[in-house]
Amino acid sequence: MTQQDLPTAASPELVQATGSAQTAATTTAPRGPGAAEAAALMPTAAELADRLLRGQTLLADTPDHLLEVVGVLESYGIVLDAYSRNLIFQAERQFLKPFPVFRFFDGDLSPAKIWRHLIHDRINFEYAEYCQKAMLWHGTGGMDAYFDSEAFIANCAAIIRHKRRDPLLAVLAPLFPAFLPELIRSAATTHALGQFWRVMSDLFLDLAEAERDGRVRSIPAVVEFLKQGLVAAAGLPIHYGVNLGDSHFWVLPPEAGLTFLADVAVPYVEAVFLRGMPFLGTVSFNAQAQQISHDQAQFAYGALYADPLPTMGAGIPPSLLMQDMYRNLPEPLHRWYLERTRGEGDVRVKICGSFQKSMFCVTNAAIAGTLPHPLASGDPAEQAANRAYAEAWATRLAAGRTDCLAG
Amino acid sequence: MLSALLLIPLLGALGLVLWPGNPSPEAVRRAALALLLLQLAWSVKVLLTFQADFGGMQLNEALGWVGSLGLDYSLGVDGLSMPLLLVNAGLTLVSAWASTAVVQRPRLYFALLLVISGAVNGAFLAQNLLLFFLFYELELIPLWLLIAVWGGANRAYAATKFLIFTAVSGILILGAFLGIALVTGQADFSLTPVLTQQLGMGTQLLLMGALLVGFGIKIPLFPFHTWLPDAHTEASTPVSVLLAGVLLKLGTYGLLRFCLGLFPEAWAQLAPALALWAAVSVLFGSLAAIAQRDMKRMVAYSSVGHMGYVLLAAAAASPVSLLGAVFQMVSHGLISALLFLLVGVVYRVTGTRDLEVLRGLLNPERGLPLTGALMIAGVMASAGLPGMAGFISEFLVFRGSLTAYPLPTLLCMVGSGLTAVYFLLLVNRAFFGRLAVAPPQPEANAAGQRLAPVDVRLAVVPWQDQLPALALTGLVIVIGLVPGGLAHLGEATTTAMAQLPALVAAMAAGPASGGALS
Repeated sequence: MTQQDLPTAASPELVQATGSAQTAATTTAPRGPGAAEAAALMPTAAELADRLLRGQTLLADTPDHLLEVVGVLESYGIVLDAYSRNLIFQAERQFLKPFPVFRFFDGDLSPAKIWRHLIHDRINFEYAEYCQKAMLWHGTGGMDAYFDSEAFIANCAAIIRHKRRDPLLAVLAPLFPAFLPELIRSAATTHALGQFWRVMSDLFLDLAEAERDGRVRSIPAVVEFLKQGLVAAAGLPIHYGVNLGDSHFWVLPPEAGLTFLADVAVPYVEAVFLRGMPFLGTVSFNAQAQQISHDQAQFAYGALYADPLPTMGAGIPPSLLMQDMYRNLPEPLHRWYLERTRGEGDVRVKICGSFQKSMFCVTNAAIAGTLPHPLASGDPAEQAANRAYAEAWATRLAAGRTDCLAG
Repeated sequence: MLSALLLIPLLGALGLVLWPGNPSPEAVRRAALALLLLQLAWSVKVLLTFQADFGGMQLNEALGWVGSLGLDYSLGVDGLSMPLLLVNAGLTLVSAWASTAVVQRPRLYFALLLVISGAVNGAFLAQNLLLFFLFYELELIPLWLLIAVWGGANRAYAATKFLIFTAVSGILILGAFLGIALVTGQADFSLTPVLTQQLGMGTQLLLMGALLVGFGIKIPLFPFHTWLPDAHTEASTPVSVLLAGVLLKLGTYGLLRFCLGLFPEAWAQLAPALALWAAVSVLFGSLAAIAQRDMKRMVAYSSVGHMGYVLLAAAAASPVSLLGAVFQMVSHGLISALLFLLVGVVYRVTGTRDLEVLRGLLNPERGLPLTGALMIAGVMASAGLPGMAGFISEFLVFRGSLTAYPLPTLLCMVGSGLTAVYFLLLVNRAFFGRLAVAPPQPEANAAGQRLAPVDVRLAVVPWQDQLPALALTGLVIVIGLVPGGLAHLGEATTTAMAQLPALVAAMAAGPASGGALS
């Protein structure tokens, strides 16, 4: 039977759109071979680099985009606040606990809290752990370098000596000498991510406030606001210590010189926005069929590459975050979602689409804030350095879901 | 009491046609639904009156009609026809419920639906061969019209093919009935077994052969099946539900009632060949289903395979296998109706049934998750998974036939395994993976620029459209878990039918020359 023999009666109930799920790049595309011709074109790396160098935003400046980005970042800010508190609690109060059963309770073990946990009336802290694991596993930036330093090993040795009073750890430490240091690295990443998200949560909630005050009225203003916030926080020190009994031990001491932007924010973007992990994503990959690169640096499974449409199953990390944001959506954005496609039925897909747009804005702000030289520079050498920097980013971004950027 | 099962739909159809003014399609549909609900309620009333422990005909109604022709208005119900009456009432109701898209000539459409339902009731109740034939033919023209008027693009071809095949089937059946009267000299057209003393085995085989081919076309069995996939492909969803769920059962009912019932000795002679024919039909239907890329054709070919089980059970003619045949008729009616309903939902929402195109419809956010879940339940039932109606019927058929015909039964079991193959292909292709309802597009154009991924937006299926499929799924599970009720309903009759050849042989040995055994 050929393709032509099969029923292709036009169905008024089907609308296929190409490009952005929520924006004007929607056309009623024909089914069949004609669909390819009707598909919208994605921006090339050169176009993206050009936008970055001209100071334009990656995301088109439209009222809908402003509503989506500010609204979704506000809900994200609320969720990040909870994630941040919990990660810091875990790193400080659940440190090296062999069975951290109550790590999501933030120390509140009241029956009401346990009941809400059991009926899943709670934040999905598993997503925060997923991001932490991605950061630990990809391991880029100054913090990862410090993890391999003599000083860090010495810090770990001091902690392990103290913790050997714990009988289980006393057995584990000599049997598997690398086990406890790795747990300490994991706890350090957890704390660092908690500190990072503390700053980002405040920044996103401030952004929503600024938009309500009328200080932010466009996507360029959003990107500028985020850039200023990142630049202001860039030099914040990142340090982490634990209290064991009456003693205090540094895991990431101030003298390590770790800072917010270079040692946590940039590795976070690299691990979560760009690389990600294929195992928990929305599409199956077959490692034996060489579908996953051997080079971790080539990974492209992060938030900027993710398919907003979950493929089968529930509870995969992007769905967890969307569910958390859904519970904290600002009312105007919630109404906006209800008016589109399936309303409440596919709200998580729409949140994911908006989240992707907002993450492109954050990435945009991070690139703008870390350009080697001012954009207005007239020095050809500085311009060339800026171009090289922008092109390197654009090459990676162009392979992502840039279809959401159109207006 | 039984006449009401004819009067409600037939007079209802007349009422719809004569409805003055220009009623809206929805008003006509609601009137038809009310009539069909009444018919279902009446069928349940008949069920409550029915004495399941008695294997013969009950609630008989007789009225002289055209005595000189041997045509009497004679109705009765037994354990073979009772379940089918209920299936007919239920599935016609489902079919009318699913007919929400009928906006053109609604009065004619629903009147035809009611005529079919009434005619099928008549065929299942008729105790006179000519009366059965009249009802058998009566459903033909309405169904032809339903396909020819409200069908798909290629409906004229499919409807004509259906008409030719089924008309030939009718001619063969009428010829056989007339032949019985002619060669036996008994022109009363009653359901009395033909004995060897009355008729030589060669003549019996000839007459039964005509009936076999006639009903074989209707069932349909390989190689007389070619009209069915075309008819299903072009028929609208409600008509497919009726066709697969009810009308095919006229063929299997005829096989049991007339081939086995009228010619028990010839049937016993031919049974080994019939069992092999059943195996060939099952394997052909299953293998043909695997090769399909149109969901509806795949389900249609699965009917060819699954109806073969009834022939196998009838060939074995043991009490267990015949009970299995009754179960198979009921469970296939429910399961195939369910599958056609779901395929109809997929087609209406996506505009295609192409398994090379559809992907990921089970997607919880943007796909058809409930339709997908019900489809998985339906294909599980069809593949005979325990806990569902398909398992009970297939188990009874295989258990009842294995001793008599081990090889054909084993081949049919392979067919049962193949059901899982083609339906898993269907589910895997259309419902798993990333949601898509169009052929995959290249990632980049000729110039190498990336193309935006297609954003699929499907309409939400309203709960009213899901209700029939939910009800059928529930029924399939209930029968699978609690098969005792249906078994009790048919057991006495099928046991009596299984004893028919031995009884006829005993009578042939004695001085009496036969009597009404049914």
